[in-house]
Amino acid sequence: MQTTVSTLPPPRVASPPKPHALSVTRRAETLTAWALILPALIGFLLFYAWPTLRAIQISFTDWNLLRAPKFVGLANYAHMLEDGKFWQGMKLSLYYVLLNIPMQTALGLFLAVAMDRLSRSLFVKSVVLLPYLLSNVLVAMMWLWMLDPVLGWVNSVIASVGLERQPFFGGAEEALLTVAAVNIWRHMGLVAMLFLAGLQNIPRHLYEAASLEGASEWQMFWRITLPLLRPVMVFVLVTSVTGSFQIFDTIAVTTNGGPLDSTRVIVHYIVQNAFSFYKMGYASAMSMALCLVMLAYTMLQMRILRASENDLA
Amino acid sequence: MFQINTLSAAIASTLVLAAASASAVEVKYSLWDSNQLPAYQACAADFTKKNPAITIKFQQTGWDGYWSGLSTNMVSGTAPDVFTDHLAKFPEFAKNQQLLDLTPYIQKDKLDTTIYATGLYENWGRGGKQYALPKDWDTIGLIVNMDAAKKAGVTLADLQAMTWNPKDGGTFEQIVRKLTVDAAGNNALSPKFDKKSVAVYGYQNPGTGGMSGQTTWSGFAVSDGFKYQDKPWDAKLYYDSPKLAETLTYLAGLPGKGLSATYENTKTLGSDAMFVGRKVAIVPQGSWMVSYFKDNAKFEHAWVPLPTGPNGTRATMFNGLGDSIWAGSKVKDQAWQWVKYLGSADCQNTVATYGVVFPAVKGTAEKAIEAQKKKGVDSSAFLTMSKSTTFLTPMVDNTSEIEETISGALESVLMGRGDAASTMKTANAKANELAKN
Amino acid sequence: MSTLTTNIPGMHRRSAFTPGRVFAWAILALMLGITLMPLWVVIKTALTHPNDLFTHSTDLLPSSATLLNFKRVLGLMTPQESLALGGSGAEINFLRALGNSVLFTAIIVAMQISSAAMSAYAFARLRFPGRNALFACFIGSMMVPSVVTFIPNFILIKELGWLNTMAGMVAPFCLMQGFSIFFLRQFFLSIPHDLEEAALLDGASHLYIFARVVLPLSVTPLATIAMLTGINMWNEFFWPYLVAKDEVQQVLPVALQSFKSQTPQGQPDWTGLMAAAAITVLPTIVLLVGFGRRVVESVQFSGGK
Repeated sequence: MQTTVSTLPPPRVASPPKPHALSVTRRAETLTAWALILPALIGFLLFYAWPTLRAIQISFTDWNLLRAPKFVGLANYAHMLEDGKFWQGMKLSLYYVLLNIPMQTALGLFLAVAMDRLSRSLFVKSVVLLPYLLSNVLVAMMWLWMLDPVLGWVNSVIASVGLERQPFFGGAEEALLTVAAVNIWRHMGLVAMLFLAGLQNIPRHLYEAASLEGASEWQMFWRITLPLLRPVMVFVLVTSVTGSFQIFDTIAVTTNGGPLDSTRVIVHYIVQNAFSFYKMGYASAMSMALCLVMLAYTMLQMRILRASENDLA
Repeated sequence: MFQINTLSAAIASTLVLAAASASAVEVKYSLWDSNQLPAYQACAADFTKKNPAITIKFQQTGWDGYWSGLSTNMVSGTAPDVFTDHLAKFPEFAKNQQLLDLTPYIQKDKLDTTIYATGLYENWGRGGKQYALPKDWDTIGLIVNMDAAKKAGVTLADLQAMTWNPKDGGTFEQIVRKLTVDAAGNNALSPKFDKKSVAVYGYQNPGTGGMSGQTTWSGFAVSDGFKYQDKPWDAKLYYDSPKLAETLTYLAGLPGKGLSATYENTKTLGSDAMFVGRKVAIVPQGSWMVSYFKDNAKFEHAWVPLPTGPNGTRATMFNGLGDSIWAGSKVKDQAWQWVKYLGSADCQNTVATYGVVFPAVKGTAEKAIEAQKKKGVDSSAFLTMSKSTTFLTPMVDNTSEIEETISGALESVLMGRGDAASTMKTANAKANELAKN
Repeated sequence: MSTLTTNIPGMHRRSAFTPGRVFAWAILALMLGITLMPLWVVIKTALTHPNDLFTHSTDLLPSSATLLNFKRVLGLMTPQESLALGGSGAEINFLRALGNSVLFTAIIVAMQISSAAMSAYAFARLRFPGRNALFACFIGSMMVPSVVTFIPNFILIKELGWLNTMAGMVAPFCLMQGFSIFFLRQFFLSIPHDLEEAALLDGASHLYIFARVVLPLSVTPLATIAMLTGINMWNEFFWPYLVAKDEVQQVLPVALQSFKSQTPQGQPDWTGLMAAAAITVLPTIVLLVGFGRRVVESVQFSGGK
């Protein structure tokens, strides 16, 4: 990181703070601090804190927004525990994360290593990053078209080599896989760029020393590259898992939860209950459950994060 | 583009208003079918000439986003003043008190409600309240690629005399087989037929059709003896009927025989696009699609009635759209004027001349058919269907969730994942529970 | 970024065609191909006449390139003409949606960065009661899934009467974003104290130090966060879709989705949709061509710290 020295105002007569004036400066500091934090605090209270509390409150009601809410206590939660689709939604989200993240991370890493060795050109980097810059909606539509069973280009290639046309988004087994593949397409470039930055921070002399000792490329990758990439790896995993668990946009555009509920991940099911069936109470209850799951997961992540930080030292 | 039309309509009315020195009230009107937009814009122009103080602002949103957009707008308090309503959707709106009861207005203006085709007006009433004025009606028919039919030696008379039963498909299946052709040119009656490489399918079921099955299974099932419920608003549904199960089994079995493309592969594409692309010879559709096919199917095609079923009649869903007023509208009186005009013989005669739909007022449908004949399309099949056995869409509460349940079950059956009888039995039990809420 | 010539691990510059290298190039080329191919298919489809859709779907080049679809989609044709071509008569008011997206993104980036920088500085440098607890709360907000707050926020926006307005769209994002605060705070923590201490001794107020000393040092991370936030907000779909479906307020992703669902029959108007998609990709391409280096650096900076 570069620091630039900015020109300071001409020095005035120095008057070091006297001990009993500390409380004055401390108060000024506190006031300044609160003034600085105020906008973010307002935003936090209005759009994060209060809504979360309100969501809890709504989860105890039966409310469809057009009529007055009706208090139902824990009924929504009881129903949720019995609701097969709720558990299925959680399971599908988890399954989706497992389909998405390992492949995305591996491909991104692969791509980063290839780019590190072969090309620093801005063009390559821009192309690699391009999918991430496109909105989920756009990407979903592109692939919906590419993978169409009858008119899509991918299937016409498949058919021309004599294989059976694949339904992709239309097949109950394939749909979630297809959604995962589309998201990998969109994100592997970003992951690659992050890894590339990490790779470029690894001092070259480590490699030179190792190769002088006769280490093969593979060994160098495992012993030098991967361990030193750990911070980036952790960052990538933390952000991508939380994002992946909450996938919605792609599914809304391509499969809308189907076919046969095979892509009805938890967020989609919650949104369906809230904005298709207008069961605000039930949707809020489920979102609370999701919140607990995510919190538990994040705690776990933090533990592992702290453990790995010790590793690096 | 309709923006320019609306703009010119607004400009025209503003000029008139300047002369009348009254402030124009804008009534927002929404619909989903872009095919019908020009016809109703013509009505709006006539209406504003007669009522210079009221202008109509059109909002067209395609079917996919129409109902969710409407609901969101109701919630946010910005719903359109008047909107095209659907028999399957209005119960929920009525229950949530989003629809204005038109009875006081109808009585005050002494509206003659007998001008509409039989039964249409009553469909929109419930519990002594009237929630819409009838707009149009539609029935279902089959569209056939006549080029392909001629090549296969199938005549129009053959097509108009088809019979069907769930066991062997009747003469319907025989004709479908004649029209299904594989890559080598063999049709599905020939022993050499290769069902793995079909070039043109004989028939394509459009999809699940949801809880009404309007264009998909309802005609077949009812002609086999199925009924949704004993009477409208009954919370006891009969989706577990064996008649429905055998109909669904038949339809789900068509891809296996090589006569249709699989459900998964055609979900996004749709049977209409397949027909236009000459990948399938016969598809079922509603009378509102006449102009779409006229514009897009660039080969000879004909509309024929649905086949006669095991109980000796043809059966079709007889659906009708209506125009409702939103209960939260701030311009209710003006909205009523527009709805009254939409429901009048004047407007519906105008709409008939565009030949896109069959308006509800008696006698206008024949005009529409005439208009279509002038454009080279014979849509009398739909009139034939309207005189056969007709039935309404199921009318029940809590349709959003029931739709979800039944659609899921139907999808399962059509994908060959579940046997029709047991799948529909489970779904029906759930639907009955939901209907009671 | 330094470009070292002999930096390739393990490679003694013997030959440029070792199997490893060829393999790596092959993979890179494959990845680039996979990235660019869908974009090409979009453009090719947008240039295809609707009538040719069935017969030429597998070709790599449009059979007879036509600008009809773009005309249809931009509203340069009457609805009747458009319907006759197999379209839905729908159009995408691209310029208006683009304008909305630009406004939406600009407002949020400007407000969010300012507010985040201010709070991040307070958390990093100032001492005040409740600092750590409050910071923990802010960070905690990142762990709450967005779907939890969507429903109450939707209700709040409705009650404020801000549904279908720009205000309603930007509201939840413009004042507070946990990640931005966290990122900037980490950065501020890592700045050496000397400059600030010197200024303090000279009697400068904290605000002065923040504005005149720290901020100028933070151009890179600020630009990074601005870029990342900008990209995310440009592509934001769910909240704007929920809150502002009206044609007048639609941002680009919402306009695109709305266009897709316009066909009365419910089946997509592929050529039109691809034309609309091609148009929506344009601003991003322009951004990359114009500011590619900045974008790439920002993305890398965010992860490489």
